Amino acid sequence: MFKKILVANRGEIAVRIIRACRELGIGAVAVYSEADRAGLHVQAADEAVAIGPPPAIESYLDMDRIVAAARATGAEAVHPGYGFLAENAEFARRLEREGIVFIGPNPDALELVGDKLRARAAMEKAGIPIIPGMKSAAGDASETAAAAKRIGFPVMIKASAGGGGKGMRIALGEDDLVPALEAGRREAKAAFGDDSVYLEKLIEDPHHVEFQVLADNRGNIVHLFERECSIQRRHQKIVEETPSMFLDPALRQKMGKTAREALRVSAYNNAGTVEFLLDKDRNFYFLEVNARLQVEHPVTELTTGVDLVHQQIRIAAGEPLGLKQEGLQQRGHAIECRIYAEDPANNFLPSSGKILAYREPSGPGVRVDGGVYNGWNVPLFYDPILAKLIVWAETRELACARMVNALRDYVILGINTSVPFLRDVISHPRFRDGDTTTGFVKKYFDGWKEGKPGPEVLALAMAAAALGGLDRPRGGLSGARREADGAASPWLSLGNWRIGGKS
Amino acid sequence: MDFEFLLDGTLKVISLEKKGGRLVIRLGETLLEADVETLADGTVSFLVGQRSYLAHLGRDGTRILVSVGGEKVVVQTPGQDGGHPKRGEEAGQKGISLVKAPMPGRVIKLSVAEGEAVRKNQTLAIVEAMKMENEIKSPHEAKVRKIFVAAGELVDSNRTLIELEPVT
Repeated sequence: MFKKILVANRGEIAVRIIRACRELGIGAVAVYSEADRAGLHVQAADEAVAIGPPPAIESYLDMDRIVAAARATGAEAVHPGYGFLAENAEFARRLEREGIVFIGPNPDALELVGDKLRARAAMEKAGIPIIPGMKSAAGDASETAAAAKRIGFPVMIKASAGGGGKGMRIALGEDDLVPALEAGRREAKAAFGDDSVYLEKLIEDPHHVEFQVLADNRGNIVHLFERECSIQRRHQKIVEETPSMFLDPALRQKMGKTAREALRVSAYNNAGTVEFLLDKDRNFYFLEVNARLQVEHPVTELTTGVDLVHQQIRIAAGEPLGLKQEGLQQRGHAIECRIYAEDPANNFLPSSGKILAYREPSGPGVRVDGGVYNGWNVPLFYDPILAKLIVWAETRELACARMVNALRDYVILGINTSVPFLRDVISHPRFRDGDTTTGFVKKYFDGWKEGKPGPEVLALAMAAAALGGLDRPRGGLSGARREADGAASPWLSLGNWRIGGKS
Repeated sequence: MDFEFLLDGTLKVISLEKKGGRLVIRLGETLLEADVETLADGTVSFLVGQRSYLAHLGRDGTRILVSVGGEKVVVQTPGQDGGHPKRGEEAGQKGISLVKAPMPGRVIKLSVAEGEAVRKNQTLAIVEAMKMENEIKSPHEAKVRKIFVAAGELVDSNRTLIELEPVT
């Protein structure tokens, strides 16, 4: 087993991985950009190394600096988390040359599944159903327009190097095609450094269901069932759950078998996720392999009892898979909500700034994978995910109830977050019914606004603002019995209050 | 004792009086009697009758942010700090409207030029933040009167990007 691992990431996922390292008795090295010196992952790690200025391209994406940090600290392996260098075959090769273990798939498999077009071809050859579409990257505009007509509108434009919704655009008809292509190419270039895109038939209002798979270095492959990830905005998931209400045991078994097969034909190792789209008739199509630990991995952990990060580390260290397919079971129901710094009432635009009050929910079956704290300044350079709230309960109904309560208890002041929006999503009768297709947010939440507080809440909020103790020394009043000592009674100090009082 | 706050730009007066160990809170038509405990770290516990509420507070300059039972209220302390929002003042004149950056980011493309006529919902500019491209669209049919930024420029939230005037 490794003695020291460098975690080449930031935020909640870096914290999650650092914790796993420490649980296994492995030293954890954090890396940080200038914007993240005070980051939670730096606080959580055993060692931390500065790797450059805030822009990711000069820090978290800079292979030289990350390799140098691993060398300087003597880390034997690098865990890339998700995003940044997680699915970068060149990085995996570079580490291999340096004699450092990349905690993820081998570079050849990364290259194959990272090239969406090659992956489609490989899956088709193995008899795995794929979405009808182009077999090579889109050429000039007229060629692409002809291809789009052959496939039939509406079409989806996708980045060949893609993932995470970046570069994805829908063209409903010919008029949309050129601007959509242009935007898709530009976003793909910015996200992946490669502007090649291709077209697929748009599957309308599908379910997005993915299977978690683990493969060791000796050819053993198991799947850990599905995650339903259909609640999305901007083609990015915001709510994930397992099991999926849309699968029955026979379909689950068939898709799980297909997922294992997809990794087998890719000669894949370590953790991976096979994504499928299901149309309304429950036909499933291979979408892509996500060659990394997924953001939504905790729902699988809570229902299978398997720690996926521990598994990744053990597999990378060369251990054989200790899990057998027939020994794996789903127990209960888990839901994850992604807590983003964004304004759900304003087109989900990112929000940045200082967190002025922060309290995470807790209680039985409640897990928070967080990357922020009170006083943290959320930088605008990176993905706006702040934390993930995950709940487990015996049934879906109870899990929903637990999630709504946990979201109500989640206090984040100072920046806009998706919390109130998510509360309304989980409370929505159609969500409760399991009507969770990718069109859900658009269908039921277009033009959503946060509910206005009632008069009682408003009055209490303003009273709290007046009383708040914000101007008084901290701690002096904390926990004291104030009735005995009238002088410390909160509203007796009103006279000293400096904000706008006209008394 | 009365306190003044701005709520959504409107001045509100909240009156707090101590009465027999309780706090009488009056805001407009709303009258509440509450038992109050000020706790650590900017939290206040209220008992209104038997109903329990926990308020969390945060402060940012003249803004006070409060969360009560999962609902958020933002008030401003009025006064010299210019707490009164100026929204719409300059924009109100002669039908000129200002298109502002909805969040901090980088202008990666300007899709229109000064003097150009634009349709409603036409893309005016693209601003990138946190790796996402955001299309800034025209709120109505208009003519581009002035452009204040250049492609590649970093902009703060609320920075005026483009000034629109009515089509004559």
